[in-house]
Amino acid sequence: MTPSASSSTGPVIEAHSIVKKFGGAIAVDDVSIEVYPGEIHAVVGENGAGKSTLMRVLAGVHQQDSGSVIVDGVKLEGGAKESIDLGVSLVHQELSLVPEMTVAENILLGSAPTTLGFTNFSEMKNIARSALEEIGVSVDLDERISRLSVALRQFVEIARAVARKPKVLILDEPTATLTPAETDYLLEMLQRLAGRGMAIVYISHRIPEVFRICHNVTILRDGKRVSVTAVAESTPEGVVDQMVGRELKKDLGSHRDATPSDVVLKAEGIRAPSVDDVDLEVRAGEIVGLGGLVGAGRTEIVRAIIGADARKSGRVTITVDGKTRIISSYQSAIRAGVGYIPEERRVDGLALTMTVAENINLPNRKELSTAGFQQTKKIRTFAQRLAEQVGLRPPEIKREAGQYSGGNQQKIVIAKWLGRRPAVMVLDEPTRGVDVGAKAEIHRLIKELADQGTAVLIVSSDLPELLELSDTIHVVRDGKIQGSIGHQDATEKAVMSLASGEKLVGA
Amino acid sequence: MAKESLTEQIALTEVVAQEAPKKTSGVGLWLTQNGVFLFLVVLAVFAAFFVNGFGSLDNVTNILNRAVPLGIVAVGMTFVVISGNYLDLSVVAQVATSGVIFLAVGSEYGLGVAALAATGAAILYGLVNGLAVGLFKANAVIVTLATTYIGLGLLRYFSGGSIFFGPPDGPMDVFGSGKVGPVPYSAFVFLGLTLVLSLVLTRTNFGFLVKSFGVNERATRLGGVNTDMVIVGAFLVTALAAMIAGFVFAAFSNTAVSTMAQGFDFKALGAIIIGGTSVFGGRGSVLRTLLGVIFVSVLDNVLTLLGFTFGFQQLALGVLILLAVTLDVLSRKLGQQ
Repeated sequence: MTPSASSSTGPVIEAHSIVKKFGGAIAVDDVSIEVYPGEIHAVVGENGAGKSTLMRVLAGVHQQDSGSVIVDGVKLEGGAKESIDLGVSLVHQELSLVPEMTVAENILLGSAPTTLGFTNFSEMKNIARSALEEIGVSVDLDERISRLSVALRQFVEIARAVARKPKVLILDEPTATLTPAETDYLLEMLQRLAGRGMAIVYISHRIPEVFRICHNVTILRDGKRVSVTAVAESTPEGVVDQMVGRELKKDLGSHRDATPSDVVLKAEGIRAPSVDDVDLEVRAGEIVGLGGLVGAGRTEIVRAIIGADARKSGRVTITVDGKTRIISSYQSAIRAGVGYIPEERRVDGLALTMTVAENINLPNRKELSTAGFQQTKKIRTFAQRLAEQVGLRPPEIKREAGQYSGGNQQKIVIAKWLGRRPAVMVLDEPTRGVDVGAKAEIHRLIKELADQGTAVLIVSSDLPELLELSDTIHVVRDGKIQGSIGHQDATEKAVMSLASGEKLVGA
Repeated sequence: MAKESLTEQIALTEVVAQEAPKKTSGVGLWLTQNGVFLFLVVLAVFAAFFVNGFGSLDNVTNILNRAVPLGIVAVGMTFVVISGNYLDLSVVAQVATSGVIFLAVGSEYGLGVAALAATGAAILYGLVNGLAVGLFKANAVIVTLATTYIGLGLLRYFSGGSIFFGPPDGPMDVFGSGKVGPVPYSAFVFLGLTLVLSLVLTRTNFGFLVKSFGVNERATRLGGVNTDMVIVGAFLVTALAAMIAGFVFAAFSNTAVSTMAQGFDFKALGAIIIGGTSVFGGRGSVLRTLLGVIFVSVLDNVLTLLGFTFGFQQLALGVLILLAVTLDVLSRKLGQQ
């Protein structure tokens, strides 16, 4: 059926009519899938379509309510441990490494070789080394995970799965945190592994990746399987249409015409750890993008500018209505009208077990209270208006933020700051791990903000997003702005050639 | 951007984002969150019928007299627990310091001066604990362990380790033995303070920030909050409550000694946990702590009346804390589904 999936042997993993419910909600509804040795099989769908749940059922992490999973002819019944023993390895969406342990320890976590009950460290290193060699990544085995870049951590995570010698390797959004060059590397690695007969199940939001490396694609929507086809016989547009359930409008991602006016945010000579003498200006109504590879220092630059991290030197000012204020601390930045959407929304952006209203109240509490006492009604009206404005679905402000999907959570983070009519909005990876629909809405919100005169500074590893939104793109490498590109000259190629220039992996 | 395309986008995302967030409700969840209090009602009803002397007015007074000092400490300490800083061990030293100041300084210079001195000492405790934990990011357990020993050491040095007595029928004694019906004056202080602190926690920005910090410290800081001061505030609330507890406790027996509040630290924490406030911060309430304190005190009383020894009271408290923690774990599991 596909070039490298040999039809002479049967599927290495097959699932029949899987149903998985959480409480009353059906996450996976009667889905079947089979994957052959050497095949790269994509599973695509919007957030909440049931991809991750299906993968966890395949890996034995979740127990299905009905249906069966068969690995190499053996029916899977015994949970995650048995699943691993049978040769199914899952690379989780959230990084599950222990930051304070070494690379080798993490790769063998839970399966460390022992001699008379003591950990056999030399054997452990041998296994870890060969797993890393298998995926073609070189990194110091004794380095602590906390000292590695996000990309390298992702590769260590994959090495950990590969060290178990799996027949089936499942990857859940492995490229979400990677830059294009790192993504290329990962995709080539997967092709090599498949070439050696490994079956790979690949979940991604990024359709071009699917068309680059996958043989077949299963499309899920609302927990149901919409279709399964050979990639060679379909088109990216067709796949997206089936994911979304209707045709995606083409003009969705057009660049807006900007009319920037006065300089609002001005940063001069910023130095901080991983930030090397950065000058930067953002005008009212302008969107300035920071491009570059992961670890280039973009997050560090914006955090140093707004005072979220300490600066070694440099001067930052914000000018609104002719009044210039010096930004000396994060709190002074907030007072001067900065809104900040951090990179790690679940850790830095939201209090997940608090309600939507409480989260929105946090940066607006002073305006929503009288003499320190909260105005409950005012808070409710305010939060409700913002929840609707950002398109939170459903817009129920008494729900806990953690009950919403990634895209909706990001809308809550944006809503927190929107109500302040920020003079400067700083967004770090605003649509990472967010589905296409929510992404379009978040882009609309960012453009509207700029149209209303906010100075927007955005960090994104998503090149099409960066190109669509930015009026000016500064490309960062080694904590320095290497070059700046105006919107009319901006192409993916132009950004990447400034951003790269170094070998990708290999510390 | 054209108007049509905006509506198109909104229509599009309507289709995309159909996944409904999960709902948390149900009898099971309610039981895990409030089961402890059902247990309290059952215990009280059982005791009223079957335990001799439980329902007498004297016994009600007795329960309240024992519950109030611990309760005042516990409602104050609830702020530190909800902020995610585990507990304030130094309440043991704070209560004793306040008690000794009120009797020693009070009989010498009058209650007004004593109140000023006790408040000063409380603010000092709150600031030292709060700044060390908030500003210098030190661990609350270790910091307050240190201030406990420093406080008790200073107190013993200055007091010579002696017991202080108030003059009979002095203002302290009058307050300490005063009652409205079976209810001692101090119980009204406890109730009043509980209501005020409950209002502070649920209705003020400060209370909101204490809870928010307990849920997610980093997100709270990035919300533009001076989180250091929030922590200082939580420790100040605890210290001021402990100061009041010291006054009430010293007044009740008209005596004070540096060892008077021994065991208050973990017993108050126990009552807070039994009330259902999470030791991991972010969840809980002052009113729940009030109920937790009543539970612990009623249980102690019933066991005493039934002739069980102190050892059994400790055992029962331990079992109860385990039960409360189990319910808390269950409630979080049910809440996630």
